[in-house]
Amino acid sequence: MNRRNFLKTAALAALATAATSRLNFAMAQGTGSIFTLAYPTSFPDLDPATSFSNDGAVLANVYESLTRYIPATEQAEAKIEPLLASAWEVSTDGKTWTFTLRDGVKFHDGTPLTSEAVKGSIERTKKIGGGASFIWGPVTSIETPEPLKVVFVLSEPQPLDLIASAGFAAWIYAPSSHDKDSAWFNAGNDAGTGAFKISRYEPGQRAVLDRAEGYWGKVPEGAFQTVSFEIVEDTTLAQNMIESGQADWTYSLPYENLEALKSNPDLNVVVNPSFETLFGLFNVKRAPLDKIKVRQALSLAFPYDDVIAAGTSGFGTRAKGVVPAGIWGHDAEAPIPKTDLEAAKALLAEEGIQPGLELVMTYSSAQALEAVAGELWKANLETLGITLTLQPMAWEAQWQLGKSNPEAAQDIFVMFWWPTFVTPYDYLFNLFHSEEKPNFNLGYYSNPEVDAKIDEAAKLSGTNRARAEALFIEAQRKVIEDAAAVFMLDQPNVHIIRTDIKGYTDNPAYGHVTLVNELSR
Amino acid sequence: MKRLVHRLGWPGTIALAIILLFVLVAILAPWIAPYPTQGAGAPNVAAKLSQPSANYWLGTDHLGRDILSRIIYGTRISLTNGVLIVAFSLLIGLPVGLAAGYFGGWVDEALMRGTDVFLAFPALLLAVLMAAALGPGFLNSIIAVAVTWWPWYARLARAEVLVLRGQPYVEAARLAGVSHQRIIIRHILPATGRPLTVQAALDVGPALLTAAALSFLGLGVLPPTADWGQMVDAGRKFFPARWWYSAMPGMTIFIIALAFSVLGDALRERKGGPARDAA
Repeated sequence: MNRRNFLKTAALAALATAATSRLNFAMAQGTGSIFTLAYPTSFPDLDPATSFSNDGAVLANVYESLTRYIPATEQAEAKIEPLLASAWEVSTDGKTWTFTLRDGVKFHDGTPLTSEAVKGSIERTKKIGGGASFIWGPVTSIETPEPLKVVFVLSEPQPLDLIASAGFAAWIYAPSSHDKDSAWFNAGNDAGTGAFKISRYEPGQRAVLDRAEGYWGKVPEGAFQTVSFEIVEDTTLAQNMIESGQADWTYSLPYENLEALKSNPDLNVVVNPSFETLFGLFNVKRAPLDKIKVRQALSLAFPYDDVIAAGTSGFGTRAKGVVPAGIWGHDAEAPIPKTDLEAAKALLAEEGIQPGLELVMTYSSAQALEAVAGELWKANLETLGITLTLQPMAWEAQWQLGKSNPEAAQDIFVMFWWPTFVTPYDYLFNLFHSEEKPNFNLGYYSNPEVDAKIDEAAKLSGTNRARAEALFIEAQRKVIEDAAAVFMLDQPNVHIIRTDIKGYTDNPAYGHVTLVNELSR
Repeated sequence: MKRLVHRLGWPGTIALAIILLFVLVAILAPWIAPYPTQGAGAPNVAAKLSQPSANYWLGTDHLGRDILSRIIYGTRISLTNGVLIVAFSLLIGLPVGLAAGYFGGWVDEALMRGTDVFLAFPALLLAVLMAAALGPGFLNSIIAVAVTWWPWYARLARAEVLVLRGQPYVEAARLAGVSHQRIIIRHILPATGRPLTVQAALDVGPALLTAAALSFLGLGVLPPTADWGQMVDAGRKFFPARWWYSAMPGMTIFIIALAFSVLGDALRERKGGPARDAA
């Protein structure tokens, strides 16, 4: 009995071909006024208060927040657009924010959008305290002087216009749902103001949205009546669906297949920077990585271009330090190192590092790109007489080890980072601000000068964004100068969409969200 | 040769030849691999994911390494895995089974209930739990699988000993005042040899498959060491457009597992030779 089980499992492993969920797309259609998304992951939580995962793709079409972030492009600077709020202002101390709500907006249950609804939504989100609700942490009270005017009082200066544009926990929902629990939302009910309402939800299979009556926003001609999210975990199947027209949109296909897809006239391969950036945090508490020159040498030995070529088929981009392109505070001129093994060798010699040094790099076993980066880096380091041990771990275990004791932890901690809402503070504070107990600063970097700049910039980001940006950039330069981490690459955002779809733009501030209202065929 | 074919039959002989061939490949890996440095893990990014060709007979992987060389180097890990798992299992299971069967009574009870605890868990699940607890690594994955494997040997050995214990020659030895230790080692152990060898040969294949499954789950050897299970896993996301990446190591696992299985069957049914006193 044991042997048969082993054989079964192992045969699975040995053959391990894809083709599992072929039954999944019984209802996938690609024509008429249905927009079909082949989505690679399921939607674990449809409660707008606690959702903090891929569910955002569905909820962003159903709910709206007060503001929306539009990232910088080559032509235009980043900006914050009015959404449910039509205008807002901030007091000079940066602690009182007044939002004027858009008139004539109705929730899907027919009730109008009011300041009470905004207050009730945010208070429910804060009270449940799940997901990304921490973004409202600085808010001490919400006042509703007029039906269309809502005032936030903060405990410290914070950029609330940015916070209100967050991809999670910033949604406003109808008062009738404020006393409902998560189960009610997860049964497929919704209470949003968005262009679509949830009409059918089959967990793990699909979510189907239908157009809501009387949407306040502009609806383009030929807009879609129905949105169908088909959950297709198998990338081969997803590729089949998009090629055959059974799906209109998908992502997460292997980079290696994209060249072929690009030459298909029916498909548009949309490549944008994402806000996901890959780091290797050096353990500055442990010899010999406590020496700047050793860390610089390791950074110089990293094969930046090879990892982009091999790991992302050339679609990725060099990380310019901490904050990726498209976010304010990005430093396009950052003095990042180039791969230079000779210079690395010289630096190691200066510090008297003998061949035979052994370092341990931990990374998440679920991230193939991290493994590629590790293997190529290891090959380079070998030529310098350094042995890099690649230690793949379950993310939880990797994180626990990192948080435990810096003296006994890894030498290099590799992870992706992306922000909850679009601010350089999220990257710099979490990864490089001194921490008494390590949480995400898993290189244990601590520099009072950098701390001061980050803190000051955070205070100014609500009132004087230009000055704040300058300070964030100064802090980043210092972090790069200290070689606190190796900045491996910025992950590309690649979405595939049928060419007959009009009006598509990707917004990396909202990971893998497609706002279907703006699209037409 | 004729004698061998007579005793094992053609399928068994071929299986044995295949296994010996793999052993030879494992020993000679650095000399016969077309690209020894790539087999050992050196990347070759320029040629990534090339299809099978004159240069790369079985194609290349996502870092451009020759898959044939990787499979040849992986033979070392996979064969050692299979053999060591069975060896460790024997090392734990055999003494437990011998003691339980020979002494009986409370010793038997205690040892067998302990064994039952391990049998109560689904084997692969226990192996995954163990591997996750110990962390990935070559030796750890072997220990993880051996922990789930030894109870079967303990049971088998005990069953054999229960029969042997009542045999007149054992009784005679005991009456002659021979020590327990000597009776077990000199008179009982040799006679359990044959069923256990058959079992061991049958088990190397599945052991290797389990180890492959573990490294498929990311709990086996650390990169860049080549391992068949890990290669199948890494190639999965390129399937089927770049089928060779997963299919080649997958086929290899299939062949060696089948060879061990056929050899085990052949040993069980082997003709000639005495039935029990193989030693």
